[in-house]
Amino acid sequence: MGTTKDILSPFLVWKQFFRKPVTIKEPLKRQGADRYRGFHINDIQECIGCGTCESICENQAIDLVAVAGIDTKSGDSGLRPKVDYGRCCWCALCVDVCTTGSLKLTNVFTWVDTDPDQFRYIPGVDAKPWDNATKGYKKAASLELYPLERIPMQHLHPEERHDSFIEIIKGFSKEEALREADRCVACGICTATCPAHMGIPEYIKAIREDNVEEGLRIMYETNPLPEICGRICTHKCETVCSVGHRGDPLSIRWLKRYLADQVPASAYASVLKSDSIEKNNRKVAIIGAGPAGLSAAYYLGMMGYQITVFEKLSAAGGMMRFGIPEYRLPYDQIDKDINYILSLGVEIKYGVSVGKDITLEQLEKEYDAVFAATGLHDGRSTRIPGTNHSGVYQSIELLRKITLGEPIEVAEKIVVIGGGNVAMDITRSLARMQRQKYGKVQLIATSLETEDIMPADREEVVEAREEGAIIYPGWGPREIIVENDRIKGLKVVQCLSVFDEQKRFSPKFDESNENFFEADMVVESIGQGANLSYIPASYFEQLEKDHRGRVLVDTLTFQTKLPWLFMGGDIIEGPDVIHGIANGHKAAKGIDQYLNANREEKQ
Amino acid sequence: MFDHVISELKNLFSAGEISGTEARLRFVTLPQNQAVKAVKYLNEKQGYRHLVLLTAVDYIEQGQFQLTYLLHNPENRTDIGVRVLIDRENATMESAHTLWPTIATYQRELREMFGIQFPGSPGVDDDFILEGWRGLPPYRRDFDTKAFAESFFPQREGRGTNDPAAFMKEKLYPNE
Repeated sequence: MGTTKDILSPFLVWKQFFRKPVTIKEPLKRQGADRYRGFHINDIQECIGCGTCESICENQAIDLVAVAGIDTKSGDSGLRPKVDYGRCCWCALCVDVCTTGSLKLTNVFTWVDTDPDQFRYIPGVDAKPWDNATKGYKKAASLELYPLERIPMQHLHPEERHDSFIEIIKGFSKEEALREADRCVACGICTATCPAHMGIPEYIKAIREDNVEEGLRIMYETNPLPEICGRICTHKCETVCSVGHRGDPLSIRWLKRYLADQVPASAYASVLKSDSIEKNNRKVAIIGAGPAGLSAAYYLGMMGYQITVFEKLSAAGGMMRFGIPEYRLPYDQIDKDINYILSLGVEIKYGVSVGKDITLEQLEKEYDAVFAATGLHDGRSTRIPGTNHSGVYQSIELLRKITLGEPIEVAEKIVVIGGGNVAMDITRSLARMQRQKYGKVQLIATSLETEDIMPADREEVVEAREEGAIIYPGWGPREIIVENDRIKGLKVVQCLSVFDEQKRFSPKFDESNENFFEADMVVESIGQGANLSYIPASYFEQLEKDHRGRVLVDTLTFQTKLPWLFMGGDIIEGPDVIHGIANGHKAAKGIDQYLNANREEKQ
Repeated sequence: MFDHVISELKNLFSAGEISGTEARLRFVTLPQNQAVKAVKYLNEKQGYRHLVLLTAVDYIEQGQFQLTYLLHNPENRTDIGVRVLIDRENATMESAHTLWPTIATYQRELREMFGIQFPGSPGVDDDFILEGWRGLPPYRRDFDTKAFAESFFPQREGRGTNDPAAFMKEKLYPNE
């Protein structure tokens, strides 16, 4: 039923026309509160494009996009976040999770534009009026969405380890591994830096899900020596870990070891499905049972090839067994990885030296392809006066003897020349043996490099000192002083710089600042060289070499200019275990390609 | 400042954990059948006359919701948060609208956002802000905000993203 009011009401609203408007005209000129959550800013130099901001965004407001002028490189994807303000709800989780702390919100909250596409922009790249704003939301220091500190690794204390070769690192418990794995933001920045491009976030995810078998499978896709790498890998991945920007990087190496440790050797064949490989009748010879040779053997073996490895020494492993001391890498763990590779039907001929016991020509005739991965086993000498004395040793020879259990005349006072990891290995091994024999350590390790640029891993230097060795870097060896045919010690002068401005090796000394280290035994550990004398001159001439005479190979297949000969490992790239493994894997794929192409030609 | 009221709460109720590091704020946990009585007691006998807020947290791992009644005493300017844990399954809590009519609004919000029932609370089943929401209450932790955003709000034209690891492979080692 209509009333007069109903009829008049449309006209009554007209009275509003004469009222003062409630709305206020722009500009409002009112600032947001100091911690107001307004538009994003991003420090584009700090940002590494890890994408954690995108992953956490519940509104899918962030895309990672390529930006002109920002290069993709190790540790930086080159991508940067682009925000869609049609979806952003200003919750600031992207700021809270940002691994580098580059992403922030300003307190600027007014922005008027008629084009909706303007409201998508790349903070820090697309210039905005608030780029220099200092106020706004920043992550509170007390708030962390993941722990910045590593789960500490249990290890033997110096007095528990300094007179024996038992393993120092105890490994993660399940509970510790789960907590450490939980710190991973799964960005995948590390994968590109790993020479083998291991699926690191994927196997860490397997740990989080407590699926160690899946973790083992993921590791074996790119690395058939996980027990070994889980202990002694140079872990370049950890140097670029996004979590490491504001905290400790993930303990990727120890997590890898945890996975491998969890699966017993007896379960490998069924977990990795190697119990049903289809064999072919093609044969590949591998020279050297080190990481590169074993890696190639594994991947070729999985493809069905018949593999024969020729190993000069009496056991497999190369530098992993004969270079790295037992306290870092126990022999039973090396055996676990190698025995599994042998279980695929790979044959190793021990004590066979190619070039002496069998020639490369013979291998060329009897096999379809040859992979040479002979490593760097010839110790380099400083060639200073006195080095030809019988009390002067090469570290690599001594380490080999220790592994083989051959006797070593350990002197009461020793000087080690060298500042790399091998120098630390022999220093710590000899310190243990001195303590066993004399009850005390009298050993000085000296290097050209000062402590800040010593090539050895920091922890090696620290632990060597804990075990009683004196590390005295920054000295250049001048002469081994010999009197009455007995070594008296090493004369050194201060080293001022090691490299010139072009970063070439060109040490400079202060000859007036001399020092003398008393010793009756000197060990040289300044690097190792390759011995390629097994390659006959007629073959060697045909190989491509760089200006320093190093053999060059195809970087994808590791094939040399002799199509049947592939080369890899420390003689080509590195030196370290993980490059060797990666080289072996690529060479295996290269050999497979080459032999398949060959067969098609013949058919 | 809190000694008297806390000891009284302990005398009269089975007050559990007392916490709070700020000088003027304490939290006290009470059993479900005592929480509203304690709130009433604090309101009527201890001067905590002002209801600051009523809110909830979803402790899905424990299968519980935690409700917090935050009360303010204007005389001595202190706050007490009365906390109560209730079952997440068929979550129901006694209504406190007879103490403050305004609490009905909070209870209406909690019913809509968490699915917690407050029988007898005026207008508690009316839409609060979601208007016609039928699915899982969105503040429950098992509500998948991302999936909802994906299905409900279409992406703007021209959007596209990259996975860092895949992008780095493509740029740095495409053939390996």
